Amino acid sequence: MLGRGVKRKWSCLEELEAEELPNASLISPEEKKQDGEEDTGEQQSKSNMSHLQQRQLVLSLCLEKLQHYQAGMELSLRRSVLLINTLRQIQEEIRCDGSDVRLHSVNPDGCLLRDDFREDESVTCPGCAEGDRESPSLSPPLSPEMPFQEANISLDLQKSLPNTVSNTFSDAGNAMGYLSDLALDDIFEDIDTSMYETSDLPPAWGAGSLWPVSVSFWPDEDAKSRSSAGTLQSCLLDLNELDHIMEILVKS
Amino acid sequence: PPRPTPVSSTAIVQGLNLLQRARSITMAGKRKLSERPGGGSSDVQWCFSQVKGAMDDDVAEADIISTVEFNHTGELLATGDKGGRVVIFQQEPECKNQPQCRGEYNVYSTFQSHEPEFDYLKSLEIEEKINKIRWLPQKNAAQFLLSTNDKTIKLWKISERDKRPEGYNLKEEDGRYRDPNTVTTLRVPVLRPMDLMVEASPRRVFANAHTYHINSISVNSDHETYLSADDLRINLWHLEITDRSFNIVDIKPANMEELTEVITAAEFHPDQCNTFVYSSSKGTIRLCDMRASALCDQHTKMFEEPEDPNNRSFFSEIISSISDVKFSHSGRYMMTRDYLSVKIWDLNMETRPVETYQVHEYLRSKLCSLYENDCIFDKFECCWNGNDSVVMTGSYNNFFRMFDRDYRQDVTFEASRENSKPRSVLKPRKISTGGKRKKDEISVDSLDFNKKILHTAWHPLDNIIAVATTNNLYIFQDKLN
Repeated sequence: MLGRGVKRKWSCLEELEAEELPNASLISPEEKKQDGEEDTGEQQSKSNMSHLQQRQLVLSLCLEKLQHYQAGMELSLRRSVLLINTLRQIQEEIRCDGSDVRLHSVNPDGCLLRDDFREDESVTCPGCAEGDRESPSLSPPLSPEMPFQEANISLDLQKSLPNTVSNTFSDAGNAMGYLSDLALDDIFEDIDTSMYETSDLPPAWGAGSLWPVSVSFWPDEDAKSRSSAGTLQSCLLDLNELDHIMEILVKS
Repeated sequence: PPRPTPVSSTAIVQGLNLLQRARSITMAGKRKLSERPGGGSSDVQWCFSQVKGAMDDDVAEADIISTVEFNHTGELLATGDKGGRVVIFQQEPECKNQPQCRGEYNVYSTFQSHEPEFDYLKSLEIEEKINKIRWLPQKNAAQFLLSTNDKTIKLWKISERDKRPEGYNLKEEDGRYRDPNTVTTLRVPVLRPMDLMVEASPRRVFANAHTYHINSISVNSDHETYLSADDLRINLWHLEITDRSFNIVDIKPANMEELTEVITAAEFHPDQCNTFVYSSSKGTIRLCDMRASALCDQHTKMFEEPEDPNNRSFFSEIISSISDVKFSHSGRYMMTRDYLSVKIWDLNMETRPVETYQVHEYLRSKLCSLYENDCIFDKFECCWNGNDSVVMTGSYNNFFRMFDRDYRQDVTFEASRENSKPRSVLKPRKISTGGKRKKDEISVDSLDFNKKILHTAWHPLDNIIAVATTNNLYIFQDKLN
């Protein structure tokens, strides 16, 4: 029942390009505004990817690239700067879109979910809350209306972006920064994460690592036929359950 | 009659240089240098001449070519590779019988310029890959070039030896030392001819001046100084002095978290020894005048084209990042290469380029895929021909492109073993972007993005070009009648 995040591979990308997602017609006109400029008249269905979908794709790729490092080799500063600028641009856009409805489909249950989320946000784990306080500089606090996934990503971004940025740019070893981030995973080794498909996914609660978007977003092979609204809903419910479980664990 | 002024040896060498250049220009003139190359039914046809490097598809990483550069006469062609080696090719003299026949390029010298190092402080390896080679103008019988990796620049002297001394008093012919007591007579050693030997020796090592990765070096027109640029700083060196350099540009912010822009390339003006330009990852070029201040953080001119709002995407900044900047030989223009285009700028106009050439516009709709496979970060170089009428740059699938500025024509060629019959004429390639693919056209989806031509060079005085694929160096020349 939990969202089965699929580590996005090249083949998945091609599938995404090739198929027209069932909810395309439900996307609001605002989101479709970018489609026209991408449409080159080719058979390539890349142009059918909505602005939002592309944004998520680019965001996840960005995080993936920033996380990946080659042991012992210095990262290219130019590449890191370009990646982080792209990340900032997306973050800024997410922030600006904060008041809009940003679910993949216009779902009557959406409002209910958002209400749930608002409740949940007050019980975010101490780690996340601390992160917010520690790094106010990069972007203003998120509004509670933001959809769950994007808010979570942004929270983690806020928390980890300063670390990422400073580690990327530090003279003392940009490559080592990611290593120290990832080492926190060891603390949570005993938590069972087998329910998640991707091996990249760290236990997000309290860890300093970046949450790969792929977990929450990409429908896997089985879910392709389902509407993404349904997937989304089940994702949210599952994650809410997890949240609830964590709450209990923390209190005990 | 007045006594003639003694002529210095420098003047003699310079005079010889001029004679050689004049001769080359005359010969080139005979080869129709001024005729337009490339495109349609032009007079000039490009032909395969030579290919250097291993034939097998399994590319050894160390053999990957990382830089290509002709010297100022075009007689020498230097390549640098990822393994830190420099290979210099020399053009054979033209056959006396056939004055229209150009000499081939054969290996002249090979040496290990840089070795891998380990930075113990940062626990990081410093690659030995040669990022750039720049030749110094010739002053005497020897040749000099600067080669650089990420951190260290070296001045190499390449000299010929075709005589050796014989008849030492204290040494035997095989080098063993003689017992001085056995020496009864003295003789003067004489120089005897020997087989030509080309020696490369490091004359200067310019180290420890760059915290970040060096991307450019450029020799000044004063022939005494040169600049080296890394991601955040540009340093000015004197060729004779290795223990210090002047920092002339520093864009490092006080707080590294505020860093949003890096230096991507830099070059001195070909005539004005006080002027240089540097390009950035945001698509801007700044021209600086060293007379204005010691630290040239304040630019004299800034060249930037406003972004086309129709083309705005998440990748706009990345594709606007300039990967190469080159002054024209005349010094009036400069050319920049970003991911999708080549732009020619008039130094007198900062607001927009005077010419823009699309290298592979069909990739614009593929930017997301190219972002994922990292190709969007590839850094393509560009170059001018001898009289600034044609510019050239590389692309994917081992394609390279030429843009004729005068006739507004462009052409695409492919560097491949299949088209490698001696003196075979290169056939222009076409990429089909629409639905219908014509015969001989290549569809965008079948392009090989692993086969990229990042480095190209044009002979300064002739229609000879050197094009580097991953591990092979192709030499093409125009067809002589």
